[in-house]
Formats: sequence, C-alpha cells, structure tokens
Amino acid sequence: MSASQAVFSGWMEIPDSTVDDKARQYAEEETLAALVSQYAGTLYRVAFSVLRNPSDAEDAVQEAFVRVLRHRDTLGEVRDQRVWLIRIVWNIVLDRKRRAKTRPETDDVSELARVLPSGGMSAEQIAVAAQHHAHVLACVDKLPAKEREVLMLSAFEEFNSVEIASVLQISESSVRSRLFRARNLMAGLLDHTRSLR
Amino acid sequence: MNTPDRKSFSNQTASGNDLSAAETTLRLIASLPAPEGLEDRIQAAVLAAPRKTRILAWPVALTPASGWTHSEWVRAAAAAAIVLVVAGGGWGVYSRVQQPPSARVIVLPPHGAAQGGFSSAGAMRTPQTLNGPVVAHPSTTQPTESKVPGKAPAPIAPKPLRHGQPSTANKTAVQIPAPLAK
Repeated sequence: MSASQAVFSGWMEIPDSTVDDKARQYAEEETLAALVSQYAGTLYRVAFSVLRNPSDAEDAVQEAFVRVLRHRDTLGEVRDQRVWLIRIVWNIVLDRKRRAKTRPETDDVSELARVLPSGGMSAEQIAVAAQHHAHVLACVDKLPAKEREVLMLSAFEEFNSVEIASVLQISESSVRSRLFRARNLMAGLLDHTRSLR
Repeated sequence: MNTPDRKSFSNQTASGNDLSAAETTLRLIASLPAPEGLEDRIQAAVLAAPRKTRILAWPVALTPASGWTHSEWVRAAAAAAIVLVVAGGGWGVYSRVQQPPSARVIVLPPHGAAQGGFSSAGAMRTPQTLNGPVVAHPSTTQPTESKVPGKAPAPIAPKPLRHGQPSTANKTAVQIPAPLAK
C-alpha cells in the first residue's frame, strides 16, 4: 500500500493494526504513568498554592497531563521534564485564576481551616490560625503579579532560583530582584494592616 | 533620643516577624500533601482522554476504499455536483452584490472663496461704526399743537422771500415759484 493510499484509506488517521504503533502506544502509556506517579503530588501542590481549592487543583493537574498526552511526540525532546510539567500546570492555574476572578470569592478562611494541618490544636486555635493564614494570603493577593508569582514559587523548598526562572521564563537575576521587592512589599503590607488594628 | 530608635527597631522586628510568619504560611500551603488516590484518578482520566485526532469520519460506504470512485457515471455526477456548487455559490455572491449605477452628470462641489485656505464659512462682515454725538440736554419743548378739539391745525404757509435775503433754511426742500424767482 502506497502512502497516498494509506492516507486516503484511513482519512489521515494512523492505523491501529500495525505492531509498531501498539508498542509505541504502550511505551507512551508507561512513560506517562511514570510521570504521573512521580510528579502528580508536586503539580497538585503548585496548583493548590494558586487556586486554594482541592478539586480545582486536581482538575488543573489532570488537564496538565492531558496536554502532555496530546504533545507526547515532543516528550523526548524535553530536557527537564519536571520543570516542563510545572510550567504547564503553572500556566493552567494562572489562566483558571484569571477566569475565576469573575466568579464570587469563596470562603477562604473556612476552606483553609479545613485543609491545613491542625495537629493537637483546639478548635479556637485552628480558627485563629486559619484567620491568620487568610490574612497573609489576602496580603499576597495584593502584590503585583510578577512579585506574587516569584514569592509563591519560592515557598516551595524543592525549587531553586534556576528552576523558578525556567518556570517563569525569566532570568535568575530577575527572580532574585523580584523576590526582594516582593518581600519588601509584603512587609509593608503586613505592617500597614498591623498598624490599622 | 533613644525612643525613636527603639521604636523603629521594634517596628522592624515586628515587621520581620510578620514577614517570617507570612513565609511560614506560604511554605505550609506549599507543603500540603496531595489527596489520597490522586495518581489513580489522574491515570484514569489520562487513559480515558481521546488520543486520536479525527479530521473526517465518513460512512464506510462513502470511503474511497469501498470502490465507488471506479464507476464512470458516479465520478461524472460528482464532478457535475462540484461544478454546480461552485457555480451556484459564485452566482449567489454575484447576485447579492449590486453595482452602483454610473453617474451621467458629475456634480462638482462649489469652490470656496479661498482655495486651500480658511473660508469665512458664510459669515457676514459688519463694520464697526462710531457712535453718533450724544445730546447732553435734550430739548423739552413740545411742538405747538392746537389743543382745541375738532379744529385742524392751520397749514404752515411759506413766508414770502425778500430780495437780497435768501432763506438759509430748507434750501433744497422749498420750491421757489417761478415769478418770484425772477
């Protein structure tokens, strides 16, 4: 069968019957399963730090892996798969966060009180801690986008400044300067809110 | 002197504590464990996702592999259908687009007074005139009129002119009778 006949007979579809394709599909599934088991937790935490909602974060991770599946042909060309995956999920969650601004705000305090660990704390302490965390996150949300993104990614201990720079596609010196500015702005915001109390 | 320094130092300490508490919050959120069964759910979702991109999905009877293209009259009918569709589409576009009628009389716009410059836009020029002399004390005397009702005022008779004394008033208005003028 010639190439043109193959194209017309299958209407631009890759025929499933060949053995090579089955082997390749199996190998792709294995690679993808390995990526999921290795990086799903990290991607979930990155997604949750932005979206602050467990189900939204899980949806974002699923979407990221579906995108990987669609571009599985280029998987072999990726140098650092971890950074590549984090960049994919980072773009997804930023896009979702942008779209979610039109929706009404969720109750962050009760959500944080439910999600955050509370080992050995009373109900009152949990409520106070959740209030504090919600206040901090509200201050983080007031930061400019560039500084906020660097500050949030720097909270992940497993990411160094080179990886943060790769995710955000900026230089490492820009990461450092933005982090410096973000900390100064954050200190000012917290100081301002403390003086108001 | 020490009070402001101590105050600023305490402020710096407080803001530093706030900042470290804020970073602790961010680290706490960043280190949250993933929910149970996350990997299995994602694996299932990825496996259920469509893998192939189907561009066209024709019925099997209409695929070229079924052999319908080998018949001469079917190919001719398909070619005729294509020609009809293309010609019909072109005619549809042509019939909807109306060409503007060609103008027989060309109306030129009126030329302005100043070519290439600013025009007066139809404004009329009104010259500035001087105010006339103002009478300081207007006369209060009324013209003499007969107060008697029903009696018409007597017409003013022209005074007879004397020779050698021409009248200075109403020179042009009074017509001199011909015999007196001699």
